[in-house]
Amino acid sequence: MLLITIMTFLSGVTLGAVVLVQKSAIAWSSEVGREVTIQIRPIEGEVMQSNVRTAITLANSAAGVSKAFALSLDESEELLIPWLGEGLDLSALPVPRLIIVELDRADAQDIAQLKASIETIAGASLNTHAAWRQQLNTMAGTFVISGLLVLFLIASATVLAIIFATRGTMSSNRAIVDVLHFIGASNSFIAGEFQGRFLRIGLRGSIAGAVASLLFFFGAGIAVSSILPDQSGAQLGALFGTFSLGFEGIIAVSLLVPAISALTAVTSRLTVQSFLRNTS
Amino acid sequence: MIRFENVGLAYGNEPEVLKNLSFSIKPGSFHFLTGPSGAGKTSLLRLFLLSLRPTTGKITMFGEKVSRLNQDRLLQLRRHIGIVFQEFRLLDHLTTFENVALPLRVLGQSESEYASNVKELLEWVGLGERIDAHPPLLSGGEKQRAAIARAVIGRPDILLADEPTGNVDPELAERLLHLFAELNRMGTTIIIATHELPLLDKFKYPRMQLSNGRLKIDGS
Repeated sequence: MLLITIMTFLSGVTLGAVVLVQKSAIAWSSEVGREVTIQIRPIEGEVMQSNVRTAITLANSAAGVSKAFALSLDESEELLIPWLGEGLDLSALPVPRLIIVELDRADAQDIAQLKASIETIAGASLNTHAAWRQQLNTMAGTFVISGLLVLFLIASATVLAIIFATRGTMSSNRAIVDVLHFIGASNSFIAGEFQGRFLRIGLRGSIAGAVASLLFFFGAGIAVSSILPDQSGAQLGALFGTFSLGFEGIIAVSLLVPAISALTAVTSRLTVQSFLRNTS
Repeated sequence: MIRFENVGLAYGNEPEVLKNLSFSIKPGSFHFLTGPSGAGKTSLLRLFLLSLRPTTGKITMFGEKVSRLNQDRLLQLRRHIGIVFQEFRLLDHLTTFENVALPLRVLGQSESEYASNVKELLEWVGLGERIDAHPPLLSGGEKQRAAIARAVIGRPDILLADEPTGNVDPELAERLLHLFAELNRMGTTIIIATHELPLLDKFKYPRMQLSNGRLKIDGS
């Protein structure tokens, strides 16, 4: 039973991590996708303020745009602080101005037309963050596939362990098998008896493992929020999401219980039938 | 019911343990199977139980030639045979009730169908108070009575017993033989393998005597 508990715990942690990453990737991708950025670089001979107003007007008049607003100069300079450090006088630098364009939906916008209009303004460019989204989706996809591969390996190891455990049980209970044969029990009946026994073991073990993995995520969420300072926690949350599995995560981990119990029962039944065929 | 014609049995390339046996057992009869240790009593019981096939000769049971039976048919015929082992062979993880009910579960009956029959039989063999006890908590005599109850719960046509009195005291051994006699009066064919000759003298049933793999039937 301990083996099933451990395997279910590992499966639960892996599956939970996959769910967390996928949830974060979808949320981040969706958030980034609902926003495009217009960048206007200072160009000699051009009036920055005028170009910013023109860009905002063009953006607001485009279909599918809910709101367009410019970041103030201070806000633009704040974005440079993580890269250049605090206390620098940035007034001498040609800091570009940023205009945030919020979209109604992440898709179905005529971004190409807006991009063409914006690029008529000197020094202006429109960034859809498509490259970031692509990279994020690729990374999340790789993580999900890796997680599923790990789950497959755990399931394979579980099956092998159940096969060896069942064979061991059969060998050490040879006398019981003989008695069942002597009273007229078929191989199918005997396999059913072993299946029932292993199903109960699988149920108890997988429930314990699933509960342990849910507690792990609950504990990890509390630990992250209490150990890390608010700002670091927020940044970690922004990048990787929170450790909250959510309803779908809890359902996914809970589904491991019937899945692993069934795997245990079916594997033991097939092993017993094979064992009986080879020994009778 | 049982017919042996020139039956011989050998294990692998070893010499025959049973040689050229020819006899028949009639329905409703009672036989003791005797002989010294190693005479082949258990091997003969295993032939009756259909767990071994003869090396030579022909066995007919319930009108069917054993050599022609497939595995499924063997299992079906085996359900007409009850067996009591010297070492009881009760399943320790089951209660007395569950052990006795096992042959009925094998037949596919549900607990609601067999519960009253099992309880009634356990009362009859004096284990009414021990139905929830597991075998390790039963005395030798209780285990043997539970084993007999398990052997007869399916109302077998033939009851085989291999040294059923070997692990109980003489007083209980005699009571057990009276129990077998009672079952025989109810129509069950009984074959008991034993080497306790003084005990057999108290019962006037025919004896099948095995010696050096050959069989002689007295008193039939």
